[in-house]
Amino acid sequence: MEAVKSMPSALDFELVARCSTTKARAAVLTLPHGPVQLPLFMPVATQASLKGLTPEQLEGTGCRLCLNNTYHLGLKPGQEALEAVGGAHKLQGWKHNILTDSGGFQMVSLLKLANITEEGVRFLSPHDGTPMLLTPEHSIALQNTIGSDIIMQLDDVLVTTSPDTKRMREAMERSVRWLDRCIAAHKNPTTQNLFCIIQGGLDLEMREECCREMVARNTPGIAIGGLSGGEAKADYCRVVSTCTGLLPELKPRYVMGIGYPEDLVVSVALGADMFDCVWPTRTARFGDAITKYGVLKLRSASYCNDFGPVEEGCGCVCCRKGDGGLGVTRAFVHHLTAKETVGAHLLTIHNVWYQLALMRSVRESIIEDRFPAFLKQFFADLHGGDKAKYPDWAVEALRTVGVDLMM
Amino acid sequence: MAESSGMATAVESLEEHKGLFFDIFGSFDASAVTPRLGRLRVKGRQELETPNFFAISSRGVVPHLTPDVISASTTIGGVHMALEDFIERATIGTPPIMNCPGSSPIHTFTALPRPLITLLAPRRTPAVSAPKGNSATAISIFPSTGFQVLSNKSYISYIAKLHPDIAISLADVPHGSIPGSKRVAKMGDRTQEWVTELLDSKNDEQAVFAPILPIDSLSQYEYLNQLVDELTDEISGLAFYDSNLLPDMPATTSFSRLPRLSLDEPSSPCQILRQVSLGMDIFTIPFIGFATEAGIALTFRFPRPVLDEPLVSDGVAGSVLPLGITMSSNAHAASLKPLSTACTCYTCANHHRGFVQHLLSADEMLSWTLLQIHNSHVVSEFFTSIRESIRSGNFVVHCDEFARAYESDLPEKSGQGPRVRGYHSKSEGPGELKRNKAAWGNLGNFEHGINGLIPTEPAGTLEDKGFDEKADT
Repeated sequence: MEAVKSMPSALDFELVARCSTTKARAAVLTLPHGPVQLPLFMPVATQASLKGLTPEQLEGTGCRLCLNNTYHLGLKPGQEALEAVGGAHKLQGWKHNILTDSGGFQMVSLLKLANITEEGVRFLSPHDGTPMLLTPEHSIALQNTIGSDIIMQLDDVLVTTSPDTKRMREAMERSVRWLDRCIAAHKNPTTQNLFCIIQGGLDLEMREECCREMVARNTPGIAIGGLSGGEAKADYCRVVSTCTGLLPELKPRYVMGIGYPEDLVVSVALGADMFDCVWPTRTARFGDAITKYGVLKLRSASYCNDFGPVEEGCGCVCCRKGDGGLGVTRAFVHHLTAKETVGAHLLTIHNVWYQLALMRSVRESIIEDRFPAFLKQFFADLHGGDKAKYPDWAVEALRTVGVDLMM
Repeated sequence: MAESSGMATAVESLEEHKGLFFDIFGSFDASAVTPRLGRLRVKGRQELETPNFFAISSRGVVPHLTPDVISASTTIGGVHMALEDFIERATIGTPPIMNCPGSSPIHTFTALPRPLITLLAPRRTPAVSAPKGNSATAISIFPSTGFQVLSNKSYISYIAKLHPDIAISLADVPHGSIPGSKRVAKMGDRTQEWVTELLDSKNDEQAVFAPILPIDSLSQYEYLNQLVDELTDEISGLAFYDSNLLPDMPATTSFSRLPRLSLDEPSSPCQILRQVSLGMDIFTIPFIGFATEAGIALTFRFPRPVLDEPLVSDGVAGSVLPLGITMSSNAHAASLKPLSTACTCYTCANHHRGFVQHLLSADEMLSWTLLQIHNSHVVSEFFTSIRESIRSGNFVVHCDEFARAYESDLPEKSGQGPRVRGYHSKSEGPGELKRNKAAWGNLGNFEHGINGLIPTEPAGTLEDKGFDEKADT
């Protein structure tokens, strides 16, 4: 593998507190468009819009860092228009931070017919069927044009459950080689932060090897990739914990594609800081509200006469009463779901708020060093206090970091 | 209300027993057919300077605008709500909205911002025509689950419970079909009976607008006479299904002082101006929503465009301007201009054509939100200018100027728009095309096998093409 190069950084990572029991941390990450508090959930504004919310409404949920997808922005509006407009912040009127992925994941998740070789990802344009090639250099050039505060390397993504260890090793090693190409191609290292992505499937030794190789490249932040692809949760937790154990303490750690509340709190306990997922916003469009007592399927007729707020005590614009709050009821969301887009917008506001508020309270509990107690309360709320319902994987994973939910 | 302060001298209010007051400014002549300036005051709501408009809602929401956006980014003063949007469960029990707590369930249920006035009508506007006609005691309505019958009796009980700021009485209007002479006679009789029933049983607080039917005034002569002779004090306003009847209205002072609402579905700003000139006060305007969902940003201003607006239609100076711009056009892809010149709406202040074009081409819901904010603002400004023009006595001149400056119709619809829902329209017969495009299909043509679909060109050739630019061939 190539000689290791160090690179400049456009972020500041300040560790604020460490949980005295688990591996959880609280930090302030200062990015080119302002500070964000870690641990953090980042909602996904795939095509430069968070599913119907105005940037002002997104700001109102407390969000200061959201995702855009490079693959989608590369197709529409395209690099030329992005350049003319002056990047993604200007395109969408968003004053805060943006993180873009590399485009590699969509190649694999959306396009059955993509073919990955050493040069890059070959695929057919979904626009007009013409052949295309996405290389690490392309991906970085696009992300440089997009101007996102955090950019991701192009990686060779493989479903973690793939039994082909030879291919898995090839993907891991190729991701390291592609990281070097990304670092070399990155034009704005002083204004955009390139994150590497640890690969290696569920093979802990391969993950360790990848961590060592990538940490040596000294990128401003580090992502753990290739997860959330249908693997067993216990395997997922082992990978995250193994990686965080090898990562430098003073860099942000981002686990890609994680969004279920229980996954978030466990991953934080295992030492991860940043997460993204489309689930909260997608599920909102199906009429599902995330609450601390679980997900409510508001499409169900049982809610048609429920005049309570979506979640009692929730501080989002949708649930709050008075003081600019709307006092939206479950009955009204039921009335709108799948019929008027406003119903989706209202639940999207609530769900994004829920995710961000969850991470805020996680952070507070870490700072006040009562995170283990927080975890116990969280699982008790979610499962109605019935310990028999607690998922084994979560109980197991938390035991490894000194928290026993069953006690 | 800076607008009204100078005019307050000539104000005469209706009797103040209904919770709804309408003042007409300036000298008032009951028999004159002229534009008029007024002010609608509803207890607990923001005052509405007229001429003005009420936004049309669908299932209790102004399409694409969450209530917080309505408060923050629009000056919408009232909302037209259709009862048929709320009572699909009436066939199996009590519709949920009837169980909603609070003194004004329709406001509470829909989380509508407090300052906005609610107007309850039995049917959506425009309404889908029903396959079955109305009967002597009921009309056909079209909730989201299919056609139902709504009797005047139950409509009255809905009004009593929901407590809208204004309720339009049930009218025998055959939406979509032209009534024959026998039917016309019935329309007046039935409507007269239904209005009387509502007025007899409602509580004093409830403001009711009496419908004026879309048939000539002679055919509803008896009904109109009763309204004038016996019911003027009982009703709070008139709802016109046909604005052409305005000049034929009986010219008594108290009857002429009633606020007039248009359900006439104007299809262009010129038609609004015409109705204003006949003395219409409050409008419901379907073309705002049509334009939004067709990807059109309205750009007209009354009485004339701002000076530096380029004359776009064919580049010839003096040519007429379009009323709106089709935002989905690729020409806007890299444009940092606001949707319309010098517009101060949230969309234009914070975004640009390039973003809206991108959102439309990416089928993102925010496109319609931003367009709806903008289009509502343009229409609000249009009415503000109309009021100024009436006040300054230049309305007629300005209308001529407007008609010379702008095209008479909105641009053609482009783009797919949001998914059309069942309650938006009904099937007109066999062999219809699908209203919504399938969201997904098979990728490519699999006849040649999957291998043929993976690019085999040398990397250099593909590199040169960049990321998804169309091949030249």
